[in-house]
Amino acid sequence: MHIDYSQEAPAIAGRLTISQIEELVARPLDTKPDRKYFIALSISGSLLLLGAICLGISFYYGIGLWGNNQPVGWAVPIVNFVFWVGIGHAGTLISAILFLLRQKWRTGIARFAEAMTIFAVICAGIFPIIHTGRPWLAGYLIPYPNQHSLWVNFTSPLLWDVFAVSTYFTVSLVFWYIGLIPDFATLRDRTTSKLKKTIYSIFSLGWRHSSRHWQHYEKAYMLLAGFATPLVLSVHTIVSFDFAVSILPGWHTTIFPPYFVAGAIFSGFAMVVTVLVFVRKIFNLENIITLDHLEKMNKVILATGMMVGYAYGMEFFIAWYSGVQAEQFVFINRAFGPYAWAYWIMVSCNVIFPQLFWFRKFRRSIPVMFVIVILVNVGMWFERFVITVTSLHRDFLPSSWAYYKPTFFDMGILLGSFGLFFTLVILFTKSLPVVSISEVKAVADGAQPTHRGGHHE
Amino acid sequence: MSDNREVNSIQNNPDPNYWRSFEELYRNEKTLKARHHEFAEGVTDDFDPNENLSGISRRKFLALLGASAALAGVACSDYRDKGEIVPYNVKPEEIILGRPNFYASTCTACANSCGILIKTREGRPIKVDGNPEHPVNQGKICAKGQANILNLYDPERLQQPLKKSSTGFDNIEWKKADSDIIASLSMAGSKEIAIVTHTITSPTFLKVLEDFKAKFPTTKIYSYELFNSSARNSAWTKCYGSGNFPLIKWNEAKVILALESDFLGVEGNRVENSRMFAEGRDVNSKSFNRLYVIESSMTLTGMNADYRMRLKPEAQFAFVMSLINELNRKGAISASIASNYSLDEFVKKNNLDKERVNHLLNDLIANKGKAIIHAGDLMPENVHIAVNILNELLGNKNLYRTDSASVNLLNLSSLDEVKELTDKMRNNQVAVVIHLDCNPVYHFPNDLNYKELLTKVPTVVTLTERMNETAQFSSYILPLNHNFESWGDSKTRTGVISLQQPVIAPLHNTRQKESILLTWISTSPDTYTETLYHDFLMKNWETNIYPTLKSRIEFKQLWFGALHDGFALTNEAGQNFSSINLTGLNLTETKFNSEAMTLVLRESYQVGDGRFANNGWLQELPHPVSKITWDNYAAISHNTAKALDVQNDDLVEVSVGDRKLTLPVFIQAGNADNTITIELGYGREFSGIVASGVGFNANTLLSSKPEFSQWVYTNATIIKAGGKYPLASTQEHHAFDNPRIQDLHLKRHIIQEGTVALYEKKSDFIQEHRPKELESVYTPFQYNEMKWGMAIDLNKCLGCGDCIVACNVENNVPVVGKDQVLKSREMQWLRIDRYYSGSPDDPRVSMQPMLCQHCDQAPCENVCPVVATTHSPDGLNQMVYNRCVGTRYCSNNCPYKVRRFNFFNFRDHFRDGYQESSILTLMFNPEVTVRSRGVMEKCTFCVQRIEEARSEAARKGIPIKGTDVKTACQEACPTNAIHFGDINGKDSEFYKYRNHELGYYVLEELNVRPNVTYIAKLRNIHTEEL
Repeated sequence: MHIDYSQEAPAIAGRLTISQIEELVARPLDTKPDRKYFIALSISGSLLLLGAICLGISFYYGIGLWGNNQPVGWAVPIVNFVFWVGIGHAGTLISAILFLLRQKWRTGIARFAEAMTIFAVICAGIFPIIHTGRPWLAGYLIPYPNQHSLWVNFTSPLLWDVFAVSTYFTVSLVFWYIGLIPDFATLRDRTTSKLKKTIYSIFSLGWRHSSRHWQHYEKAYMLLAGFATPLVLSVHTIVSFDFAVSILPGWHTTIFPPYFVAGAIFSGFAMVVTVLVFVRKIFNLENIITLDHLEKMNKVILATGMMVGYAYGMEFFIAWYSGVQAEQFVFINRAFGPYAWAYWIMVSCNVIFPQLFWFRKFRRSIPVMFVIVILVNVGMWFERFVITVTSLHRDFLPSSWAYYKPTFFDMGILLGSFGLFFTLVILFTKSLPVVSISEVKAVADGAQPTHRGGHHE
Repeated sequence: MSDNREVNSIQNNPDPNYWRSFEELYRNEKTLKARHHEFAEGVTDDFDPNENLSGISRRKFLALLGASAALAGVACSDYRDKGEIVPYNVKPEEIILGRPNFYASTCTACANSCGILIKTREGRPIKVDGNPEHPVNQGKICAKGQANILNLYDPERLQQPLKKSSTGFDNIEWKKADSDIIASLSMAGSKEIAIVTHTITSPTFLKVLEDFKAKFPTTKIYSYELFNSSARNSAWTKCYGSGNFPLIKWNEAKVILALESDFLGVEGNRVENSRMFAEGRDVNSKSFNRLYVIESSMTLTGMNADYRMRLKPEAQFAFVMSLINELNRKGAISASIASNYSLDEFVKKNNLDKERVNHLLNDLIANKGKAIIHAGDLMPENVHIAVNILNELLGNKNLYRTDSASVNLLNLSSLDEVKELTDKMRNNQVAVVIHLDCNPVYHFPNDLNYKELLTKVPTVVTLTERMNETAQFSSYILPLNHNFESWGDSKTRTGVISLQQPVIAPLHNTRQKESILLTWISTSPDTYTETLYHDFLMKNWETNIYPTLKSRIEFKQLWFGALHDGFALTNEAGQNFSSINLTGLNLTETKFNSEAMTLVLRESYQVGDGRFANNGWLQELPHPVSKITWDNYAAISHNTAKALDVQNDDLVEVSVGDRKLTLPVFIQAGNADNTITIELGYGREFSGIVASGVGFNANTLLSSKPEFSQWVYTNATIIKAGGKYPLASTQEHHAFDNPRIQDLHLKRHIIQEGTVALYEKKSDFIQEHRPKELESVYTPFQYNEMKWGMAIDLNKCLGCGDCIVACNVENNVPVVGKDQVLKSREMQWLRIDRYYSGSPDDPRVSMQPMLCQHCDQAPCENVCPVVATTHSPDGLNQMVYNRCVGTRYCSNNCPYKVRRFNFFNFRDHFRDGYQESSILTLMFNPEVTVRSRGVMEKCTFCVQRIEEARSEAARKGIPIKGTDVKTACQEACPTNAIHFGDINGKDSEFYKYRNHELGYYVLEELNVRPNVTYIAKLRNIHTEEL
């Protein structure tokens, strides 16, 4: 097969004109939602309701309704938290780091990935609060001056989490919104509805597509991208500190920060692919979110998957190398103990199946990639489960060991978080442009000055 | 004054470097003054009610407005009346609010009558401890005695007399009930009046019964115990002419051979036995007894053995005889009675460890007169006789106590006597049956048909504290006072009579059984007064007991002195034993088939014979061996389980003859093959929310015509029944053959042990393995003054669990129920870890009490995001319940996993909010916060006691000392294994243990610097290596 590497493949396929792009992206906002939309919304809404009910009952009776027990103080809710924070990472990586690296292919997927970041962080943010025994006192985690002279404990990684996650959410939201401003203006100019016009006008902040605006916008966007980039690394690093700073074998590991970040990108990309496969089909965006884009994402999945696999292996090596009996036991126990099933689900989903992406055919096959990314999602949930639960259930003193089983309420709340995520995603597709109109226009063929009809060198 | 000074200083300063107005810049005096006063004049005026309202300032107006709004708001709000708080009109003598009072009394939880000290606060009993001055139990009390306080406040106690009606039971007045029953008693005529009771330990109650008999001459008294020493009694009668078998000087024994005897667990006065046994295992004096245990089931005693061998109970007789023969052959004794027996053959046939048997032989020979052989209560008469002979021949009678002997006020009725009663009932020869605080329908073998026969008796009266199986079949149910509401006395051995006094007025409309009988004796219901038995008791002491005491002080003085002390000493002669009478002794062996299944029925460690089944604390107390709570089970060996193809929790059907029971199986390491052990006391019905439906009633397997022993059946069968039943254990059960898990406690140095021989050779062998203390980059906190610490001597810890219940009572620890134990959410702050090493047939057992280690560098503290767990300057790791949001991070990071989380409001969670009933709230220790849902908790080192001692010391103006505080667990430990005190108090006893050469910390390599020191266990075996 001959591939011409001298020329970059176009970011946008189908030689769409600028007005066609605008038309394509904005169309879902101009039409009334159809039957399928409501079916999808009702499914995700039902899951959300299930989660809300489970949560309500848990609030009423206490978190004893969950499976958590004496050695296993943290279980599914914390697993969910780490899982969702991880999902969020793809958005920031795509929008910030790939932006700084001038990866043009990111434009088609950036908006969606960013939105998913925000929704995932919303899902994630719920769990640290609800998993506490007395969620109504969650305010105690905020350092506010008070008459009791009580202060929070800055040595606790849980407190770092509070700051890390809230910062992450704020920055992601602002970044997303800044990116939306030119599109709001476009939509404002297009729409005929009075109500929509008012709303778009407010959110477009008086954007007039003037060169001056663009100049400021580009600068602000770049600054925010620079600001968000360290967050990609820091948030999951801090989340990993929840485990790494403790003294528990299986948690107390220096490899955790990079391992968690790689895992987060891995799972985040998998989730983005999972959703985009549908979105590009349903909204006819195949030319904007092209197979090339998906293939590139699959390559990232392959790369990060192998990093994660390396971390799995390295954990074993270090446990053996440390000579610490308790440390060695935890890892052997993971692979061959009562939770071996979870461990092998994790390894096969995260390390073995993504290897199929070495083959171009599989990277570019929608059904294959869909199955693999779903497996990656499952595998990454189990990775957090394995880390959290298997380390806790058998720690130092064999007398305190116990097996942990999630209950209906644990699973109900997990499904509820998926319900929340997909409800937000579905609402998003009909209320905001799922692809950045302005950015895509900028990378469309002929949008940029070129030499000899080719691409700008 | 000061105002002017400041104005001056500003004026004198020529160059203000900042200013807000030209007036200020040019030092206008008025402005300067105004600047000094924060508020303008008139704003800060004090309120003067005489002043005209129009003169009110803005500030005053706002203040008044706010105050009136607040007042109006409060006045209109829904004020929840929390009941009246009424001050004492006349303050009772001795009661100081906030300070406890202690009263000496006697425990009636079993027939041992230990002396107790009841702690009361504002008139309500909140804690029971042993009476330190009592000569028998010396300040210690078992788990049942501790938990007895829950029985007092049990919401399900009967509160009214009841009479059977067609629809059930109706409330009835005491007077009516009394007159009805008196009428029935008077009309008994020649028919029998049967009084069924447990062991009689009270001389005055015996007097009441005698008076009753005198009044109603057809009365017959049947006293029974489900578990008793009848076989030992009759053996002693045959050997020595008296059934009053002696107590044993366990502390002086160098070698103890326990044959199917759980003398540290359930037999005899366990508290006293444990204390004396542990006195003989002392690391400071380096004196160690050697305990050989030969038994069928793994018992508490077996866990503590230096050498343990498994043997089916029916082989014990042949074993003793073989031992006699072998000792005779070796010339150690001369006895010809056992010439048919050969020890070698016996050892081969029963697969005993030859080396251990040889050690035993040599030890018995070498320690003649310093060894004791003790057969268990479950053993039949011939084993006891053989043991008596062997002890006598070896000169071990030295170890029989002569200072004090057990006393039987009234011999227990034999099974034949009970059968006579049932025959009479069948023939309608019984007019009245009175059950005195006992439960024969549950306890008697089913083949006596006692339950059915009760319907043939016209009047059945049951006196009981709470509903039970027997009460269900009664015409009248009369509610009894609790131990703590009653008067009484007790004599269980020579030399001491204990006194029992009430510490609280009856909570309900109840009476004590003696008063009820006295009322009936008087034949007039009006005789009853609250002081009826009190007066009788005092009179009986004055006329019958006082003269025997030969006291030189007058009676009143003696009486109040004895009440204060809880007992009176008598100078009775001890016991002397003549030589054994060998003629006519039955030394024939019961033949048995060693391949057949043997069923051993034992007393429950937790709920006794079922009397304590409705006590949540005891139900949730982990079994000392299996750590199972809330159930009994069929314990079998792993070989038997393999043969049956069953796993833990599988249901099996156990049958003896036509008596069958289906219950779950538990594979107990160290059980003899082909032996099934089941504990009795479970499977209660009609006995309240806690007890009903818990476990399985194995009393149904009892026979009234036992061939071997009442508790051992040699012809049992066991088959797999299909199905599972989850047993709730507080400790996971691991496969013995899993190399990853096997002996982890040794590999991780959690349990560090040695042998006496090694210790003698190398006393610091433990210190060699201890990691060096790591340097810290920070300067550690210097504990220069007080620093609390604990030391636990594992040589003395027997694993009984008394400390757990003591901790529960002291610290208001909730009962969580079986479902939560199954989920591994038990709340006990203190647990006793039990580890097995070696093979499942012959495991070595190690016990380790585990509680918060109050680490100097506590890993729980730095991970709490809200600083809810902190460290005190005297070295305590503290929990701030109000601040805790329940992240459980502290628990995750605790390497000892001693933190406990309130997953629910556990007081509400238990069925029907049982633990929230208002009466149970009276039981709480007011010094300890009752924790709410979502809060972490853990051992506090009894901080409330520390604070009490601290304020007491402050009141006296002296510094607090380490010895001022005793933790609840320390107080309860029957063997004094727990020491508590000041780590920096160099001249204290505790300091010696804290810095003992056998001391180590658990998980020391983590560098968390715990403040609980464990003294390594030494096993008194013949080798240096374990």
